[in-house]
Parts: sequence; C-alpha cells; structure tokens
Amino acid sequence: MSNLDQCPSTTKGEKKRAGKAELAAVAGRVDSIHGQRAWRSLEEVADTAEFRDFLEREFPAGASELSRAEGETDGESRRNFLKIMGASVALAGAATIPGCRRPDHKIMPFSREVPEEIIPGKPLFYATSYTRPDGGVEGLLVETHEGRPTKIEGNPLHPVNQGKSSVWALSSIMGLYDPDRLKHPIYKNPARGRIAATWDDFRAWADRAMPEMEAVGGAGLAVLADKKQSPSRQAAIAAFRQKYPNARWFAYSPAESSAVAEGTRRCFGVPMREVLKMTRDNTRVVVSLDRDFLHNDPAEVSNARQFSATRLVMSTKDTMSRLYCVESGFSLTGAQADHRLRLSPSQVTAFAVALAKFVLPKAAAPDSQQISSALDRMSVQPAAGVDARFVEECAKDLLDSANRGRTLILAGETQPPEVHALVIAMNAALGNIGASIAYLPMTDEEAAPSLANIRELTDAINQGAVRTLVCLNTNPLYDAPGELNFGEAFEKLQASITLTVESTETAAASTWSLNGAHYLESWGDTQSHDGAIAPVQPMIAPLYDTALSDLEFIAFLTDRSAKRIDGYEIVRGTWAKFVTGDFDRAWRRALHDGIIAGTSQSTQAPRVNFANVADGLSRLPAAPAGLEAVFCVGNVADGRFANVGWLQELPETGTRTVWDNPILMSPATAKQLDLLPINYTDKDPNGIYYKSRFPHGQMATVTVGGQSVTGAAWILPGMADNTLLLTLGYGRENAGLVGDGVGFNMYKVRPATAMNGRVVTAARIEHAPGEHMIASTQDHWTMDNRTSIVRAVDLPRFQKFGDEVALAMDELYGTRAELNFAERMGELAHTPPNKSIYKNPYNKSKDEPLPSAAYATGPQWAMTIDQTTCTGCGACTIACQSENNIAVVGKKETAKGREMAWIRVDRYFTGEDVNNPEAMYHQPVACVHCENAPCETVCPVNATVHGPEGINYMTYNRCIGTRYCANNCPYKVRRFNFFDYGVTKFNGDYLGKDLINPIGDYIPGQGTGITGSGEHNSINPNLIPPRLRQKLDEISRMQKNPDVTVRSRGVMEKCTYCVQRINAARIECKIDGLPGIPDGFFQAACQQACPTDAITFGDMLLPQSKVSRMRGNARSYALLGYLNTRPRTSHMVRVMNPKRELCSAERVAEWDMPLGHHAGHGEADHGDHGEHGDHGPETPGATRDGQHSKAFEFKPSRQRDDRGYALSLRVLGVRA
Amino acid sequence: MSVIFPKWTNLLPTIFAVGALGGLSAAVGGFYYYATPKFFKVGYMPKQPGGGFNHQIHAGKLGMDCRYCHTKVEKSYEANIPNVATCYGCHKENTLSIYNESEVHKNKTEFIREAYAADQSIEWRRIHKLPDYVHNFPHQAHLAAGVSCYSCHGQITAMPEVYEAQPLSMGWCLDCHRNPETAVLEPQYHDKITQLVWVEQHLKDRAAKANDESARQLLESINVNAPQNCGACHY
Repeated sequence: MSNLDQCPSTTKGEKKRAGKAELAAVAGRVDSIHGQRAWRSLEEVADTAEFRDFLEREFPAGASELSRAEGETDGESRRNFLKIMGASVALAGAATIPGCRRPDHKIMPFSREVPEEIIPGKPLFYATSYTRPDGGVEGLLVETHEGRPTKIEGNPLHPVNQGKSSVWALSSIMGLYDPDRLKHPIYKNPARGRIAATWDDFRAWADRAMPEMEAVGGAGLAVLADKKQSPSRQAAIAAFRQKYPNARWFAYSPAESSAVAEGTRRCFGVPMREVLKMTRDNTRVVVSLDRDFLHNDPAEVSNARQFSATRLVMSTKDTMSRLYCVESGFSLTGAQADHRLRLSPSQVTAFAVALAKFVLPKAAAPDSQQISSALDRMSVQPAAGVDARFVEECAKDLLDSANRGRTLILAGETQPPEVHALVIAMNAALGNIGASIAYLPMTDEEAAPSLANIRELTDAINQGAVRTLVCLNTNPLYDAPGELNFGEAFEKLQASITLTVESTETAAASTWSLNGAHYLESWGDTQSHDGAIAPVQPMIAPLYDTALSDLEFIAFLTDRSAKRIDGYEIVRGTWAKFVTGDFDRAWRRALHDGIIAGTSQSTQAPRVNFANVADGLSRLPAAPAGLEAVFCVGNVADGRFANVGWLQELPETGTRTVWDNPILMSPATAKQLDLLPINYTDKDPNGIYYKSRFPHGQMATVTVGGQSVTGAAWILPGMADNTLLLTLGYGRENAGLVGDGVGFNMYKVRPATAMNGRVVTAARIEHAPGEHMIASTQDHWTMDNRTSIVRAVDLPRFQKFGDEVALAMDELYGTRAELNFAERMGELAHTPPNKSIYKNPYNKSKDEPLPSAAYATGPQWAMTIDQTTCTGCGACTIACQSENNIAVVGKKETAKGREMAWIRVDRYFTGEDVNNPEAMYHQPVACVHCENAPCETVCPVNATVHGPEGINYMTYNRCIGTRYCANNCPYKVRRFNFFDYGVTKFNGDYLGKDLINPIGDYIPGQGTGITGSGEHNSINPNLIPPRLRQKLDEISRMQKNPDVTVRSRGVMEKCTYCVQRINAARIECKIDGLPGIPDGFFQAACQQACPTDAITFGDMLLPQSKVSRMRGNARSYALLGYLNTRPRTSHMVRVMNPKRELCSAERVAEWDMPLGHHAGHGEADHGDHGEHGDHGPETPGATRDGQHSKAFEFKPSRQRDDRGYALSLRVLGVRA
Repeated sequence: MSVIFPKWTNLLPTIFAVGALGGLSAAVGGFYYYATPKFFKVGYMPKQPGGGFNHQIHAGKLGMDCRYCHTKVEKSYEANIPNVATCYGCHKENTLSIYNESEVHKNKTEFIREAYAADQSIEWRRIHKLPDYVHNFPHQAHLAAGVSCYSCHGQITAMPEVYEAQPLSMGWCLDCHRNPETAVLEPQYHDKITQLVWVEQHLKDRAAKANDESARQLLESINVNAPQNCGACHY
C-alpha cells in the first residue's frame, strides 16, 4: 500500500478507533467527517486484502487480461490473444486495401418541400411533456438534429420541473431508439403461431370481431390501461365508455402505492393528491416518515428543487430547514436528513403514533383533541428501536413557536392509510395545510387502486365475464401479483390485444400485439399534479409502420369507421372545449411554450375530518412478528425501462449496484440469516498469488404467502433490521436483449393484498443454492488514501466561524491570498507549502504556480458542485451520458471497474457502526480540470493538453491508449475504452449466440425458468464480451449527438466541460457581436439537468457570474487541493442542521471550536496533538515550523522500500 | 591460392549501404509525399449525378452569388447543399429554353426535373469532408471573421466540376490559424467575401506588398483570434 499521507497527523490517530468497527482492524486509510470515519463499503471498513488489491490496481484484477467466463480455469492467455490478434491484423490489412479508395459520401438535400425552420447543422428544440411511470409529469425540451431527436432536457417554462428533469425523462429517448421495440403488428394464429402482420390486417380482424361486441355494448370487453393524467385521454375514455357502456375499464399502474389516495379519502372524504409548496419562509422543519419525497415521488423534481431552496446556505447569516427522516431503507431523503432513524415499516407506524401523542395535545387545534383522546386510548407500546428522545425532540421542533405553521410532516408508501390520515391531521393541527402542503382532488382514474383492479380483472376473466382484453401500455403477464395466476386467466381469453411501445411479455402472448407510437412520435397532452396542461408533440414520424398512439388506438376502438385517426385532431378537439379566445393562436403559443398558460389549478386546503382519523386509529395493524418486506422501485421503474441500458447501468442509490435488483437487508440481518455477501480470493495451489473475484451475493428464496422467488441477497448499511427491500421491475423475460434475465422478478411474491401494494409482513427468506455476481460501483474510482474528500459542517459552527479567513498569505494557492472556511477544513490549512511537480504551460514557471497573463483574460471556465443541495439522484450522470455519447458497457465490464460515466456520484457512509451508519454523503465527481494537471505531464503523445480557457482537453485522435493519464489522475475521473463500446451494441447479436440457451418465448403459467433458478445469468447475453458483439444498428446510432465524437477502442475519455456547447456559444456570441459569452448563455449538460441547481458552471473571471460567486463563497473548497493541482471544479461543503439536543457532546463541542488545524479529519482522533487547538487562524510561520515534522512519524525502512513514500517526504519537505 | 571473390566485390558493402540508404530515403520521401493529404486529397473529384453542378457557368459566367444556393452558410456550421426545389426554380420546364434551346442542355438537366417530380433528393457526392474527430467546421464563424470561400475551396468560379483544391489537413488549417493575415479580409471588404475572383487577386496583391509593418497593421485591423488549441476542433 503506497502511502502518500499528505496530512502527517492522520496516520497515528485513526488507528485508535478500530475498536467499535464490526469487522476487522482498520488501517490509517480513512477519511472522516464530523470526526467520524467515512467509508464506501464493508470491504473498505474491513480493509481486506481483496479491497486493497482492487484499489492498488488501476483497474481490477483481470481488467487488462482477456475476459474469461466465471469459474473457468483456462481461458485465453495473453499469448493466445496475440496469436489471434496477429491473424486479425493480417486480415484487417487485407481488408483495408480496397479501403484505400475514398468512400463515396452522399449529401442528400431536401427535395420539394423544404421545412423553413431547419438549418442543416443546427439543432432545433421542441417543447413536449412526458408522463413518468409513476404518473408524474415533466415538461421537456427535445433537441432534434435535422429531425432526429437526440437529447432531452427539461422545459424551463413548465411549472412543475422548471427546466430540470429526472433520470427517467432523460432516458426516455432510449425507448424511441430501442432496437427491440415492436416494429409491426404480430398476430398469433391459433394454428400457425405468431406471424407478422400489418395494421390493415388488424383492421380487417377488428371489423370481423368487434361488431359482435358492439351489439352487446361491449359486454365481455375489458381494457387494462396505464394511468395517465391527460385531458385528451379522459375525453377518449369517456367516448369509449359511451360506445361500449358494458365494457370495463381498469386503470393499472403496477408499482404504484395507494397510500396517499386512501389516506386522504379517510381525512377529507375524497381522494386528493398532495401538492408540496415548500419555500424558505414556510418550511423550517420537515419530518419524513418513510417517505422518499426527494427521489421516489411523482413530483420528485419539483420537491427536490423546493427542498434544496430551504437548505441553501450562502452566508453565515442564512438559516436552513431541518429534516428528520425515519425510514426502513436508506433513501436519498434519508441521505439528506439531519437526523435519521432506521425503523422497519411497522416501527415507523409506532413512531408516527408516538409523535402524534406528543404533537396533537399541544397543538392548539380545537378538533385535534378527538384524536388525542383516541391516541390516549391506544395501547401502542413504543416499539423497540423507536428512540423516545428522538420523538420528543422532533416533536419539540415541530411545536416550537418559531416553527409554527412552518413545518411539514410526510408519510410514505410503506405506511398504512391510517398513518397518512394521522399525519394529515398533524399537519392540519400545526397549520401546515395551505402553507407547505396543499391538496387537489384526484381523478377517478388516478384514485383507482391498481392492485384491486388487476384482481377484479383476473376474477372477471376466470368467471368468463371478460372474454376480450385490451392491454394499453400495460404488461400484466409480467407484473400482476404472482398469487393471482394471471397467466392462467390470460389463457382463457378469447382474444387479447396489446398495444405497447416496448417489447413485453404480454405482447408476446397476445392474439394481437400492436406496435404503439412512442411519446416522441405522437400527439397528446398531459396534466401535471398541480393541474397544468401541457402538449405532447411529435419530434419525428413513427419510426415503424403506422404506429398508433394510445390516444389514437382508443379512438380507433371507439370509431372504426373513421377514415383517418389523427392524434393532432384529437388533441385539438379536446382543447377547443376549454381554451378560450383565438384557438389557433393559443394552440401555437402552447406548442411553443410547452404549456398552456394559466392552467395550474389553485390548490385547496380542505377541512380534516378529525373524527374519521381518530376512528381509523383503532384499525392500525398490530406490530407483526417476523420479517417485513418492502417493495420499491429502482432505476428501471415498474419494469418498463428494463431495456434501457443507461438506467440499467446507473448505480442504484444506496447500494451503487448496477444491472441487478438484489434482495436488500441490513448487514446485521444478513449476518443473522447467514446471507452476507461473499468476496473470495482464488488462491493458487502454491499460495504464491491470489486473484480476487468479483463480489457475489448468496442466493436466497423469499416466500410470501404461497409464492416465492429466488434472488441474490445483498446488504445495504443503514437499513432497518428485520426488513427486506425488494426492488420491482427486474427479471423481465421478454424486454429485449438488454433487459432479459437481468435481476429477479419481485412481482411474483407481491400479493394483491399487500398494504398500499408496498408492504407485506411475515415474509420468509431462506438459503438457496448458488451465488450470483453483483456489480457494484461503490469501490470504483476511489480517491484512496486521501483525506478530507467530502467535507461537512454543522450550521451553528458555520454561522459562527464561516466568515473567518486564515490570515496567512498562502503562496501555494495562487489566486487566493487567504484560506476560506471550507479550505481550512482540509489539509491545505496545515500542509507545508509544496512545489508544483506538475507544470502548466500557462503558469509563470514550474516553481511559481501563479498563473501567467494567459489565465487573466477571456472566459476561464469553472464549475462548482454544492454538496448541501445535491441529493445524489444521478440526473447529471444520465444527462452527460446522453449529451456526450457515453457508452454502456454491461454488467461484467462494470464489475471490472470499466464503467464509462464521466460524472460519477460517490456515495460515502460515516460512522463506526457499519450496520447503522450516521449519515450518507453524496459527492458528484467529474474531471475537475486541474490547472496543474497531473495527467498532462505523463501523456507521451500530448493527447491531453491544456487550453487557454482552463480546460483540460482530451484529443481522441492523438490518444494511443497508454492509460498513464488515468493512472496519474488523483481524482480517478478518466475512462478508457477497452473495447468498441461506442460502436457495438452493449447487448446484441454476437458470435456463438446459438450455443447459448436462447431465452424462449414466455409460456403463461410456467415462465421460462430464467429467474429463480439461480443460473439465469449463465444465459444472459449481457455478459458477452463487447468484442464479440454486433455493431450498432442504424436505429441505436440515431441517438448519438453529432457534435461529439463517438470514441472507439483504445482511447481515453473524460469530462470535457461540454466543450461542444462552449464552442457553439462562442461562435454564436461572436456572430451576434456580443463582447464575450454572457453568464448563463449556455449550460453544461449536467448543470442543465440538476434538479436542485447544485452544479453551476460559467466564466469565473466575470465578477457577476454565478460560478464566481459560488467559488468565492466560504463553503467552496478544492478537492484534494493540497496536491496543488488547482482544480477548476470546486466542491462546496455540506452544511447540516442538527438539533443540539440530539447530538453527541463531542459534536456540540465542535460547534464552538474555531477551525484550526484539525477540522476535517476529526478532532477526536488527534489526542496526540491536542495542543493544536490554539491553532486558530494560521500564521505564516505556523505552517512551516517544525510542529508537523515533529508529529510525523518517519520510517526509514519505508523510505528505502517505498519510492512513493520517499517522494512524499521530499514533497512534504521532511528531511530524513 | 585462388581468389574466390573478385576484387570488385570489395565494393559490395558500400553499394549495399548506399542502396539501403537510398532505398530508405526513397521510402521515407515517398511516404512523406504520397501519404499526405496534400497528395491524395487535393484534386479529389468524384463523379457527380448529372455530370455535376457546373460552378464555372453558374458562379463564374452567370455571376451567381454563392449564397444563392448555399443559403445557410452564414448561419450554420454547414454550407448546405440546395434543395432540389432551388435547382428546379430555374431549370423548370420551359423556363431556360428562351436562353438555351439546345437539346443537349435540356437532356443534361433532365435529372433535376425527374427528381423534383418524384420528390426525391439528388445524391450529390461529398467532396470536402473532415474526419469524424474534427468537429463542426464552423462556416458561419469563418465567414463572420472574414475568411472567403476562396481560401479553403479554391477558385470555385473556374471549376466546371468541383474538386478539392486544398489538402484540408490539420497542418494546413494551422498554417492559417497561426498567420490569419494570409487569408482574412479586412472588415471593409466583408461584403466582397463571395466574389472569389476579386478575393484571389486581393489576397495575392496583399501578399506581394506585405512587409512587417503592413502585416502588423493588417493583423490589428482584422482583429481575429484564431484558436490554435486542440479543443477548438477535437472533442
């Protein structure tokens, strides 16, 4: 282990605290926040040999060798590889001889009809809107290049997301170019099986089959449709119902939770939807009772924006809200919490009751006394684990006179409707309704319980009441609760018609599977939760056949005689009913803006029926015995994004796993059940070397009721004990080449009676044979051995000392004469000045790191990333992937540490107890564009060089792939193309495909045996090495951004600060005659997407620019700044707002401690030089006097053996 | 003792050495000359549909402005190829016959009318193409700075069939970016930017009488900042 301990004082202290760690001894390699250790995985805490091996290799074991199948002993050797390569080089040579002739490139201009607005070479942006899988709505701007949509961004004019977007909206463009999507109708002939057909065939069939149905008013006909809030959809449904009065319409959203609808029904008499209206003024305390309102919520984007606004601290006078989070998993809301308690769902219920017992009697609301007395009658004992002090302090905060009417309590999906009602009552009693939260009535469709609907439908089919089923964008064969045996019922249908965009299990089994039009190909409209109506307009004509949108299909069913079904006319027809004034003008305006102005409804503050709430309390379920299982959704939503590689490869929050949905449990529960993950080493017989294998989860079978599913078990630190977290949406069998066989289908064990569709009690889990590889990025790209990476401070301390700057003139930090608050939290405060070992052509000289005149002019680009407002949602990662043509590499490549994301979100836990970490921190890291860039000095071919605007350029055509730069990058932000990721399908056709068991058609009632066998990944084509894969097809290529090179094998890549956007902006400004590029003229892709504006980017020389103000803020620090790399991206300290009474004495003591030497890596650790407390504002001499050398333990033996150590001594100025 | 090797063989090592040296320099020299864009790109003239658009007639003799067809060149990265409708605008049935009654001309432009009637685009062959890793040669920026079409595309008005006149290699680009005064027109002449014959003469005249002082003044007057960093084109 090389040790460049830049802070000499860290080495000794941290070794003292190993006692409490659950696992093995800890070496002095750790970072700390609030005096607590920060870590990313259990392996890191344990500091196992495998972990160290993983870190010390630039890429994990085997990364440079040929990939070899799991468990295979004799794979391809390097020698063999060279032989093969030799042959292929010869072949390639032969192949390129005819290639000497220059290929003909054609230019195809438009012919007759010339679209006026298209300027070849320049993108156009169209406004549209998108309905998320959970029913939320986001307004979007879609970038199209010559009619080809390439990138999705948020629409700034849309009131809900205001220009920002979620990962789902950003990734939805992949659905358009999904190579596996249905391309034409398929008819399942009873005799001949599935045969390709046309829409005309379907029309002919419908003309034969439908009149019979029409005659009886649609009796025997049922529609199972996805839930969408859309005026046109509602009008279409109404027309359909009129035509078929006896037909049944079931709204069905498989992964929804009915908690809010049921809770509000109890409280207000009618189901209402919540509209959060948090502002700095009306929200000072937020209590989340297992509610992930920042991430898993239909309005997540607006919630995150509102919440971060209450948290932003820009000066020492600012205050911020406080978030209490009580939860069963470890969600992003939990990560933001100032105080967090991990409790199982039933314990959260007990917590809610305990909180209400405190709050309601003291809240002066007259009616709330009914509940108080009902609560008094309840004999709910405080459940084990519910910290009485936590409840009390939380309640005190809510009741504090300064906070009255300025608080918010939210109940989550795992909580029974009674708790939701209780929480609404508390909000009413505290005067929050109408302030931080308000309500709007739900539509019938929205309030319809999906699980009850699917059960009713199954019963109706079984009883013969439904003989023809139309599935509109739904996939019940995959996602119906396993206990319903929907597959069997489906067999009994006379006819089934499925309209869907993506390939689904239901489409494969239906009589007719019809190719639907993607939302980017069709007309429609959406209504967001606040009532705002936005248009959906097509960017491109349907790519395949004459696909119909769901709207057009309903219209077709309603009126088959219509000559032409046109979504455009349907939407205009609906709008004509409510748009007043000049319709065409309003229509054009709405298409331009992407929203009909003034359609947001005014929210209501309905009266709470306290008596009903009090009644409901008696129905609260008793605390269960045994395991509780919570169903949740992950990146692939309810399963419809299974075939989207971007989302499969986006690390899940919390675990950072990709391409999987393991059964999650807390480390303690896993230990108890003997289901801890396995990290093995394969020792060779002689014990000379070992080779680490990728971490595996043990297979386990979860049984709920009579249903069971087998999946891999994995741990999530900070989860509640005795709780299982089951992620829905994986284990698809007919999603396409990307999604098939990835993960395990948890819908199988979700009973239709699950509370809210989310929680079941009395789940059982037992060992199953086998293991399953889990690819987790948690330990990848680690800035090992560095300290003070993530920095956090408590608000009181920041308020007290935030304005202080060190009096020292700091010569090593160039532009800044003094160290601000955040910088003094790290090593910069006490490292001796070091000379730059990296030189920058724009610096005056190697010895003098001050910039030359070149850096004093022109735009100088810089970025800041605020860790206070960052929620860790991953929108930046996906936006960057979309903008910069970043490849998806697949599960096995990711396991090797080859994922390509340019901006990664690092996740750290803190605390000594791996089972119950104190907090979770998120830190997005992309290339920080060092002014003294270590990568530049080591590149032998000058492929990575510095630009005059401070950007570290990466020139792909010069790169020869030595990977020295990645090796020398302390931030680990460079990505190497080991294969032709960019031009091959990450999953597709490949050599030897026929040798692998094909994933067969879905057999209703039997499945295909892919999931649950424990072996299913052996036939997952996702594991095929990319070099064997098929080249990208025309369709997949269409998504690529033409302004960015598609990188090929053997080149390095990394964040470019979106140089294509910078260059475009520069040209634009120049032509327009502007003197420079004004601040905000363009945005980097990550900045554009970030829901909380945690990322700012711009010209740091403009004094008024946002980025220069952020950089000048006391919270801004340079990551690893002590290396004198002078990064252009600075991070901003996370400020937390804990309650004094709930903090440890050490933490409170810290608040009055001025930042001296120690902050940032834990005062408590440094018993050995407590005398540094007086260190206060640094004096110039202090940084260089002998103190530090004294504390530094110099080891002559290490100096001999370890060249890195010797170098560090020289850099530190220690004379041995 | 007989002499096995005749005396002249003593020369063999020298001959071999000279031959090897000569061969090597020929190979290097040959590669240097033939394997550069200067050799294999300049003069590239693919076969165009309909014999190609005769720039000599249209832009030369008839004096049509480049921007009549390449309409978006001042706005976009790309100098767009005109739509079939633009060609058809003049080459409609019976429009040009008053000037040119000949059957030859009529037959020659028949493909335009056919394409128009079928609403098909004409598959022109691309001549000037930069590699994929060179991004978005910004036509609009170069025109705005005062670089005439002539500097990169040569004397188009004299080309019956367009060919690549310049190597378009990176070294060639940088030559100009390092010495922008060789190609950039003074602001007062920006309206003459598409008058290629005038531009050619002007640039020649300017180069002929350039001395250090005038070059400096010129550089000041044109006031361009031609980037020379990698990230200007490669990303």
